[in-house]
Amino acid sequence: MAVGVLAGKDLRLLLRDRRAAIVLLGMPVLFILLLGMLLGEGFGQKPDDRLRVSVVIEDRGPAAGDEPPVDGPGPAPRDWSTVVLRDLEQTAGIRVEIIRDRDAARRLVGRGDRSAVLVFGPEFSRRVGQCSFLDDRVLKKPGLNPFFREGIDLKSLDLEVLRDPTQDAAAAIIEQGAQVTLLRVVMPWMIGRAFEEVGRQLPIAIPVLNRLFSKYDLTAKSWSRLTRSQPLTAVRDSNATVYEEPTGGLVQRGAVRYQILVPSLTVTFAFFLVLSAGWLFVAERRQGTLLRLRVSPLTRGEILLGKILPCLAVSLIQGFSLLAAGRLAFGMSLGSQPLWLIPVVVATSLAATGIAILVGGAARTESQVAVFGTLLVLVLAGLGGCLMPRALMPEAMRSWSKLTPHAWALDAYSQLLLNPHPEIEIVLKSCLVLVGFATAFLLMAWVRMRLD
Amino acid sequence: MENVRKSYGSHVAVDGISFELKAGELFGLLGPNGAGKTTLISVVTGLSAADSGTVTLRGLPVGPGHPAIRGRIGLAPQELALYPELTARENARFFGQLYGLTGADLDDRVAAALDAVQLADRADDRAGAFSGGMKRRLNLALAVLHQPDILFLDEPTAGVDPQSRQAILDEVLRLNAGGMTVVYTSHYMDEVQAVCRRVGIVDNGRMIKCDDLHELLKLDASRIRFPAVGRVAAWGSIPGISEVATSHGVTELTAKAPAIALPHVVRVLRELGSDGHALELRPPTLERVFLLLTGRELRD
Repeated sequence: MAVGVLAGKDLRLLLRDRRAAIVLLGMPVLFILLLGMLLGEGFGQKPDDRLRVSVVIEDRGPAAGDEPPVDGPGPAPRDWSTVVLRDLEQTAGIRVEIIRDRDAARRLVGRGDRSAVLVFGPEFSRRVGQCSFLDDRVLKKPGLNPFFREGIDLKSLDLEVLRDPTQDAAAAIIEQGAQVTLLRVVMPWMIGRAFEEVGRQLPIAIPVLNRLFSKYDLTAKSWSRLTRSQPLTAVRDSNATVYEEPTGGLVQRGAVRYQILVPSLTVTFAFFLVLSAGWLFVAERRQGTLLRLRVSPLTRGEILLGKILPCLAVSLIQGFSLLAAGRLAFGMSLGSQPLWLIPVVVATSLAATGIAILVGGAARTESQVAVFGTLLVLVLAGLGGCLMPRALMPEAMRSWSKLTPHAWALDAYSQLLLNPHPEIEIVLKSCLVLVGFATAFLLMAWVRMRLD
Repeated sequence: MENVRKSYGSHVAVDGISFELKAGELFGLLGPNGAGKTTLISVVTGLSAADSGTVTLRGLPVGPGHPAIRGRIGLAPQELALYPELTARENARFFGQLYGLTGADLDDRVAAALDAVQLADRADDRAGAFSGGMKRRLNLALAVLHQPDILFLDEPTAGVDPQSRQAILDEVLRLNAGGMTVVYTSHYMDEVQAVCRRVGIVDNGRMIKCDDLHELLKLDASRIRFPAVGRVAAWGSIPGISEVATSHGVTELTAKAPAIALPHVVRVLRELGSDGHALELRPPTLERVFLLLTGRELRD
């Protein structure tokens, strides 16, 4: 009862204190906003040294009655652009990125964010379907010869390359990559169709041809079958990444950076509780009310608990509010296991409360709280990887960072917010370590209080 | 308390003090700065543990390890102890709840305590906005909300105006009249002399004197003062006069037995042609007794 009264009073004072509210709730959101605007889109993404080929797919697929596209083993492709994408993805050193539409692609190229974008026009599958070595007289529809001196005439296939004129070299590399892939797609198709027709008109020739060209399957229509080679990887549905155009203006809601910024700053500012708790303790001393509390029938343990509970409550409010702000204001994803965020917030808050009570109980003046508290918070945040991703730290520092609760909290958040398939074992372990930190800090505070 | 000793490192703050408070008495605790009063209060209120000796209240031990007994003790510390961000009523309710008061009982006690220190009309104002005197009165109200058996007042009137001082003294007397035992510590000797019936004087960690007020006052003498007239030797021969001093045109006679000396002084004054109208009799004071016992050497 008395603990509840004490806790209620402190909670009221903490929530009434605008300075504390600004530090604990306003500042982190401001920092997230500011850093979110300052950091580039690459922040938070693992470096990918592969050549990126960006594409826009407007392809409407083959016309009714057309022969369906042909590919290696695996699910049948819907259209010829899918076959081209699969081939690109299986080419070592290339990653494919799909852009929503031609306008978005034009903007990206215009800004210089992409050197070139391949646009598969609506007629692409139909045009590929028309490609043939055969004379039009033997074809149902007029054939199309897509070749010219440099390879394949992209325009003839309704394939456009949007280029940034300031990045000619990079654009040329992308175009050449596309040329090679198109040759691997179109050439076997045309050879297969031609030999199919030869077989139809001269059935006797086929066994002869098969014997002469035994290393090839001349009627296969796909590169892997024509060359009797296996694809580098099993053919599957496209693994291309989808480019999501920022929609939030300067804030760029939903950007990957928020998956890192929000938890980092949530953890950093959780430990700023040291300042609020410190001010609370110092004020209690300065006002003489700590003396009145000690002369009351409360035990030291009850007084300590009465301080812990409001700090914990404020920390929990702060933690959940910042995650909510991350979700609502910055479009942060809560990951595939959002409920596991609850124990992480609770465990982090416990650790932050523990250290806040320890420092608050030891501080004698507001200056001590401000100077030592801020120093401690920033050093721990830096060491713990809140200010700079631990991946960028030297190996030795990464080991040292595990001495801070921040690093463990970030480990748990990383699993839940960055890993599509979070390892719950790591999350649980981190939570247990954080609770361990809290227990150690509170025990030290208890001993310190007894000596006081 | 019996043979209580408390030291901080090599400094002995309380050195074997023993004394007993009678239920319902109003006891004055005096001492120069650094004499050990604050440590003594800290031990008897259960804030600090004595190194040796025992402190009991109604037979129950008092100390940091006995929180329950602290519910029967009230303390108005010298430094104001209240939350400036809370109103007077919120302060009172908070501390009342810490002592287990709830519901209508809490409301009644809060209202009565604030009324007693004349803060009822400011009950919903922030304590931080109060004047020094109002804060002192609230400080007292917070100490007595739970109606303790014994109340320790440490400099309860420090830095307040005469009106607040009088209000505080009236309230202390009222509480004592209601049966509450009060230990009153102050450097204002006239206050202690006015309200306390028994006084203990502490110096260098020891209780150098503890007695009824009137017995203590016997250590001092009365002073008979009048405009200087006649020879010093004439005054010194009067029965009951122990000392004669003349300064700045005023003669001061120290009289251990003023009732015997006074008629003789008046008679001599008349013989010297003075009508005796300017004669002034100053009774013994606690302040003089205090200085007599603790000396005039500065302590801080």
